[in-house]
Amino acid sequence: MIRGLLYGIKKFWSEITSGDLLILSLAIVLSVTAISSVGFLGDRLQSSMKQQAASILGADVTLRSASELGSDYLELAKIHELETAETVSFLSMAIANEDNLLSSIKATTSSYPLKGALIISTVNGDKINHKGSPRSGYLWVEKKILEVLELRQSSQLIIGNKTFIVEGIIQEYPDRNSGFFGFYPTIIVNVDDLAEMGIIQTGSRVVYRNLFAGTGENIKNFLNSMQDMPAEIRVQKAEDAGEGLGKALESSTIFFNLASLFTIIISVITSMMAVRRYAARNLLQTSLMKVFGASKRFILGSQIMQLTLMALLATLVGLLGGYLLQFLLISALQDIINTDLPPPSFQPVILGFVASFCVVFGVASPYLKILSESEPIRILRNDFSIGMTRNLMIYLVASATMLIFLMILFKNIELILYIVGALIAVTIALFLIGKGLIYGLSFMQLSSGIGWKLGLKNIAKRGHESILQIVIFGLSLVFLLVLAETRTDLIDSWTDRLQEDTPNNFLFNIQEYDLENISEYLGNTADISPVFTPLIRGRLLSVKRASPELLDSENVMEREANLTWQEKLPDSNTIVQGSWWEAGSLRAEVSVDDSIADSMNLALGDELYFSAGGTNFYATVTSFREVSWESFSPNFFFLLSPAIGKTLPNSYITSIRIPENSSIITSFIERFPTITNIDIGAVIKQVQNTISSASLAVQYIFILALAAGILALIASIFSNTDQRKKEAAILHAIGAKRSLIFQAAAAEFLVLGVLSAMTAIIAAILLSGVIFTQVLELSYSPNPYILGSGFLAAVIFIFLAGIISIRKTIYTSPMLTLKDA
Amino acid sequence: MAETTKRQKLKDLILEVKNITKEVNSPEGPLTIVKDVNLSIEPGELVSLVGPSGSGKTTLLAIMAGLDLPSAGSITLLGSEITLLDEDQRAQIRGRDVGFVFQSFHLMPKLSALDNVMLPLEISGIEEAQSKAKEALISVGLEKRAQHFPTQLSGGEKQRVAIARAMVNKPKILFADEPTGNLDTKSSSAITDLLFSVNDLMQTTLVLVTHDLALAEKCSKVYELSEGELL
Repeated sequence: MIRGLLYGIKKFWSEITSGDLLILSLAIVLSVTAISSVGFLGDRLQSSMKQQAASILGADVTLRSASELGSDYLELAKIHELETAETVSFLSMAIANEDNLLSSIKATTSSYPLKGALIISTVNGDKINHKGSPRSGYLWVEKKILEVLELRQSSQLIIGNKTFIVEGIIQEYPDRNSGFFGFYPTIIVNVDDLAEMGIIQTGSRVVYRNLFAGTGENIKNFLNSMQDMPAEIRVQKAEDAGEGLGKALESSTIFFNLASLFTIIISVITSMMAVRRYAARNLLQTSLMKVFGASKRFILGSQIMQLTLMALLATLVGLLGGYLLQFLLISALQDIINTDLPPPSFQPVILGFVASFCVVFGVASPYLKILSESEPIRILRNDFSIGMTRNLMIYLVASATMLIFLMILFKNIELILYIVGALIAVTIALFLIGKGLIYGLSFMQLSSGIGWKLGLKNIAKRGHESILQIVIFGLSLVFLLVLAETRTDLIDSWTDRLQEDTPNNFLFNIQEYDLENISEYLGNTADISPVFTPLIRGRLLSVKRASPELLDSENVMEREANLTWQEKLPDSNTIVQGSWWEAGSLRAEVSVDDSIADSMNLALGDELYFSAGGTNFYATVTSFREVSWESFSPNFFFLLSPAIGKTLPNSYITSIRIPENSSIITSFIERFPTITNIDIGAVIKQVQNTISSASLAVQYIFILALAAGILALIASIFSNTDQRKKEAAILHAIGAKRSLIFQAAAAEFLVLGVLSAMTAIIAAILLSGVIFTQVLELSYSPNPYILGSGFLAAVIFIFLAGIISIRKTIYTSPMLTLKDA
Repeated sequence: MAETTKRQKLKDLILEVKNITKEVNSPEGPLTIVKDVNLSIEPGELVSLVGPSGSGKTTLLAIMAGLDLPSAGSITLLGSEITLLDEDQRAQIRGRDVGFVFQSFHLMPKLSALDNVMLPLEISGIEEAQSKAKEALISVGLEKRAQHFPTQLSGGEKQRVAIARAMVNKPKILFADEPTGNLDTKSSSAITDLLFSVNDLMQTTLVLVTHDLALAEKCSKVYELSEGELL
């Protein structure tokens, strides 16, 4: 064995340079590149997302309530060695220089924030990293307050009964207010000043938060120890906050995993073909070595060493490729992941090596057995063929290895089972089609000297070889087509969310008497026809279930609720359950956003009890809606039917598109000073950047999978090139014209290409359907452009590559080919 | 006394074939390729096996060299009854004391001429393989072709390399299967001369299978096979 290993080392370079291991090496390089790039990226993204999620929340866990939380939880947290902080948020008028502005006040304790950055600057712009709250009597404001109220450093600002001194500008802070408070500029004050301000009275809209941070274990114990939590207290964990980090990032991560999975599967298929060719070509060598006295162990040792060295080399190249690709992906995604990323861990490197050796030895081990047991008598018989029955076993072993490895790697058994199910179904379909073709061809009279007939005869003659090629072509194409469709639809679904005319400004507090004037003004100055949506400020008080089933009230809490009423379903909404109210209905109905309905455990027929405009009323839930929040149109969690909505006092809201750097808004605010404007241009830009970044990253990964697919096709075409070359040379030698040999090969590859591509398209439609609906949660309709161009590209590629693989034989002397054979 | 001489002679035999039969399965049923063959070869003998195509010459050669096993009978090669040994044990004997030359040359396409000649030495773990292989190439007149690959050599040159490879570990017995079968007349004659001169120089036993009666006649003993049986 040792001598065999040493011999393997010695002959490694000649083996690599001879090209027999080239396709196998490339397949390994591509699969390791795929695994490690996604691994490196995933690793770093995960760390980054955890950091960002904690920053968003300002803590690892928060408790949120509309009423005072008391000190019980803070004391419990101390027992579990957690850091704690408190915030109290509410809306109030900030008054200065005889002007006022409705602001979101956040009173904090000195340990705020526990996670994330609190960056305060002086009015002159000098930034200071700060932790804690302002000193008692001082406050920090967002720039908008400074501008509107014309404040300077150390200006006075009155909130409630207390006069504060402006100490700094808030540049960045975690746990940004969401929902109703999020629309107003923020002021941070010390929690000790709350009493003096005298704003919080019974019934005031206040959000109390307790913030906690600590080790994962302590947090877990802390959460477990909180029994019988009142329903109005909501627990929010960092990982939940992270879920909202960006749909595009989440979808692109799914795509990366999918592409990486497909690249590995395609690379395994390629490796199977490459190893088969490698073994066939090495059978002479091993048989000869047996003749000259090599033992089974010697052969095994030398083969294992060569494959090991090849796998090591290919893995290193693949890891390098993966690392570089990951940099490309990171640079593409930098707009999405703003945080400085932690360095990648060593895990993808280990994963790369494990993957590489799993693939190489998974597909090669049966061949190693064949080679080490090759009979020396083959030399005298000139018999260097590897039987198909042995190949079936090889593919079973390889498939089982691959399945186990992928399940361990992707930890998504459902997805792997879908893919493997598709793999088996497509393989069986392709096998039957190949079998049917050969059976059909056996009935045809194909003995004339016409090229294309000879090509068809060759397909039948090659029997299982032809079937194997149809299967390999087909499988590679299925995965490429599915990936191409996924890529295109994913990018389309992102870009569809942001049209060129996506609104970038919201206008609030519009009163009925201003509607006409505003429409006229915007129409004249900017050619804009605004659509006004009623805005009713309300509060959801309780939920009543009509049916006797017990309502799980854990997630139902008294909450702020911005309401509107509509006669028709808005464009950016889709009904997912129930039905929209009929025109003229006199019932008090409400349509609820499906995500909020989920979180509140609502069911159709439930009655929601609201308070708005001084009235309390019930509205029956008659539908759930999926809301496209990215439309940046005014959207609402709760939509009332006109029967009840029209009876409530309301203002109006509209969203409009203002060209960048336009002064329309400035003059508009001068003309309508009571109207509040919120510029969301920066948010839109951020979303646009996110989309283009994610699209670019998806392209990079797709190119990798495409390369793997092309390599699989090449490996399959070259798997029996030696045999084709020999046949072509014999035909040439016995007088067949080049054109006849060319026509025969062309017909053969054309039929193989068309059949496998047709089957692949049908299979790709089915598999894409499953992946879109079950994995990506997108609707699916086959993309005729992708499928059509994929079909053409595949047929042309197989045809051309097939012809190229034997072109030398056609144009060189048949003697040379036969002599070398 | 006569018994002692017989035993001594047996001990001296380099190869003894006893009642060898080889049957294979064919679509038409069992097919006998070699039938009840007996022969013995002494050290240094030059033996040829002749016969028409399909007479079982190559099969008998493969069995005698331990490349294949008979269906019945026994072979004693260099004092070991190889029919009782497993493949690895037979390979060990081949690696140490047996050389081969084939009709189709069977050079390793990925290896240079020198590397091809070194192959048996490397498999046996013999030191100074390179210098010994170079000497062998010099002995067949191909020292200038040492770094050439098989595709860069003519048929005659390939067979010279094959002879150098067969002789490099100084085998006690050399088996050659139609060594001139793939060569033109001129190359054929040159290879025949080379094979016999190298054999003479190294005092090796030569067993060759050939159609070429002129080649067969150069041997000290000629066995003729017909339909698997020795005539």
